[in-house]
Amino acid sequence: MDRQDIAWCPGCGDFPIRATLEKVLGGLPIPAKDIVLTSGIGQAAKMPHYLPHSYFNGLHGRSLPLAVGIKLARPDLTVIAVSGDGCHYGEGGNHFIHTIRRRLDITILVCDNKVYGLTKGQSSPTTDLGRKNALDPEGNRNAPFSPLAAALTAGAPFVARTFAGDPEHMGKIMREAILFKGPSVVDILQPCVSFNKVNSFAWYRERIYRLDDSLKDRYEAIRLSDDWGERIPIGVFWRDDRFLCREGKQMFRKPVTESAVARLLNTKCIMMR
Amino acid sequence: MEFNVLIGGEAGQGMFSVELGLSEILSRLGYPFFATKNYMSRIRGGHNFHMIRISEKPVHALSGKPWDLIVAMDRAETERRHKPFLREGGTFVGPERVGQIEREAKGELQDVTATSAILTGLILAFIGADDAAAQSAAPDGTARRALAMGWDFAARWGLAARRSFAPQIGEHCKLDGNQALALGALLGGCQFVAGYPMTPATSILHYFSSVAEELPVHFEQAEDEIAALNMALGASYAGLRSMVATSGGGFALMTEAVSLAGMTETPVVIIVAQRPGPATGLPTRTEQGDLNFVLHAGHGEFPRVIFAPGSVEEAISLARRAFDVADRWQIPVFILTDQYLADSLQIMEGRVPTKMLKRELPVAGADYRRYEITDSGVSPLTYPGLSEARVEVDSDEHTEDGKITEDRGMRVRMVDKRLRKSEGLRKEAVMPARFGDRRAPTVLVSWGSNRLIVNEAVEVLRAEGISVSSAHFGQVYPLTPQMARGLARKRLICIENNATGQFEQLLRHELGLKATHRILKYDGECFTVGELVERVKGILG
Repeated sequence: MDRQDIAWCPGCGDFPIRATLEKVLGGLPIPAKDIVLTSGIGQAAKMPHYLPHSYFNGLHGRSLPLAVGIKLARPDLTVIAVSGDGCHYGEGGNHFIHTIRRRLDITILVCDNKVYGLTKGQSSPTTDLGRKNALDPEGNRNAPFSPLAAALTAGAPFVARTFAGDPEHMGKIMREAILFKGPSVVDILQPCVSFNKVNSFAWYRERIYRLDDSLKDRYEAIRLSDDWGERIPIGVFWRDDRFLCREGKQMFRKPVTESAVARLLNTKCIMMR
Repeated sequence: MEFNVLIGGEAGQGMFSVELGLSEILSRLGYPFFATKNYMSRIRGGHNFHMIRISEKPVHALSGKPWDLIVAMDRAETERRHKPFLREGGTFVGPERVGQIEREAKGELQDVTATSAILTGLILAFIGADDAAAQSAAPDGTARRALAMGWDFAARWGLAARRSFAPQIGEHCKLDGNQALALGALLGGCQFVAGYPMTPATSILHYFSSVAEELPVHFEQAEDEIAALNMALGASYAGLRSMVATSGGGFALMTEAVSLAGMTETPVVIIVAQRPGPATGLPTRTEQGDLNFVLHAGHGEFPRVIFAPGSVEEAISLARRAFDVADRWQIPVFILTDQYLADSLQIMEGRVPTKMLKRELPVAGADYRRYEITDSGVSPLTYPGLSEARVEVDSDEHTEDGKITEDRGMRVRMVDKRLRKSEGLRKEAVMPARFGDRRAPTVLVSWGSNRLIVNEAVEVLRAEGISVSSAHFGQVYPLTPQMARGLARKRLICIENNATGQFEQLLRHELGLKATHRILKYDGECFTVGELVERVKGILG
């Protein structure tokens, strides 16, 4: 694919995310044809167009219900929803909470650049308080959403953070998240070279440090997810290996039979009382 | 011979249990009946009433005749509202008698809720039903005893066989409108339903969640209607025929995903069970106010089909057909129903067709292009994971292989491709169902649930020497010139449950058919046959 076919700005954090994801997907013990990506709208949501797999690039905020429908219909497929912070946490915020609650084996990747890129520099749900943006000339009045804490309190059994400037770490985390059986959330710190002049590659490099191992306690993970500023932890915050993942039902290629419908005919009326 | 009974009371007093118990036994005994209800949006209290019409011949509407029997479960409200409409010489079973039944239910059966079954027995005794046959149709011993007590009360109060007639019907099935739609959906191959509860669509969701225990189908309760339709589109993309069911307010949230279905050419069936709006409106009442909304829902231009069944038979056949049309043409197909059809329980004569739609699972090669441009506008459809074919679907304007594009030429070719399907869709449109003497100068035009009310009105008018026919539109969009055949030179009276004559306007706009009169009703209640006959006579003079 030519550089000009890709819609991102030169130097965008989405490039290393894409390259790493391509490598990770290629190295999975899963046939390429069985991987399906869903995405919404935004710069990050264009990601599936630049990867060699089936995809459903839907509407803004709606990558997750699409992923839920695909996973329920076809448990044999590996389903990954990839979009940005505006899509997953803003427009699709309700779906973010409830998709986690559905206990399905879906990987949620969030390219979190803390700003709206495609619409040119408005505040996003993760924008810092007081940051001046296109629609906030006096500074963002909203407190930033804490995606990891939200995912943890919604019950996500796998919650991680990684950094677009550290492909090795990012690859390891992505692979672990995809292979984890259950809803997994990976918030990827992604510099936006055009609209976020603060959270640059250099800014992150000065602050991030790797967690050695996932935390043993979910509340400890929630507490740590609040750490932001001089020192920013990346790694697996929480991994619950005892998690009971919901298994979908095999229905594809198993149509309802005529005799089964005939049996239903004299079933009781189930009108709403 | 026919018999009209009304059972009124507060929500939670057991009127619905009488309707369900009675309709079950009537069906087993072979009595044609039609039952519908008028209920408030509350769980307890208020005033609800259930209306059951039992007849010698099949009936599919409320007659509008005075009540032969009124049962009042409450102290005063049923009497106040409905007793003025009791037939002269009709029977009123008031709170004193119901109280007596309740005391005996408690005393003899240790169960006050057995009152409903005793009342069921009383009503069956009233129409001279065979008590042994009725008891053998009862679900258990307590119900049998309760039914027998009902017969005793009828005898004690001199009500037994007051209006006696014999069951007439042969092979049949008992269905409500929503059950019929769900059944039709199963026959159409539907295996995935997502939804958020909303009256009057909820029982469709209940149906699917209950059959999912045994059949290879799934129901998912979504966090909102936005998610519901997106889930259905995801499931459809992955290879299952999928559906959502909601009412106007829920459908409002779905409209962006309707547009997504249009752009991505993802097959889906959307049931909109109408209730009076705007906003929350009258949550448990009926209306046909969302035709324009469904017709225009979703930004951008893309083809769609809208069905509006007018009977339980048609609900089955059109729901089944909806899946076939959605799948073959890769479009959203809508089914417009309403609270009246949803909540009306009736006997359907004959055998329910159980022929399933079969589908092929296409397999494509690695050079597969999801949006290949074709003469019909329909591109080959396959699903992820079946082969090396990548299924690439995009809400942006896209190339033939599903990649984002802003190329002007491609844009025009893709719009034309999508809209080209309309030509094929018009060729297979469902023609209106005609009833009555076609030579009659006046045609009563209806769509959706009014069909059989109108048809009975045609029969009543004929018996009075007034010749009219009817035309029911089971497909309300697209409308084709063939549909206007035999209607152009007639006096058309359009009958709708809305305030603005939405279908009458559509007929004019699409087919140039101009109705001279409209009969509209928008108080939240259905038409009765008697009411419609009077309004038609008012127009014809």
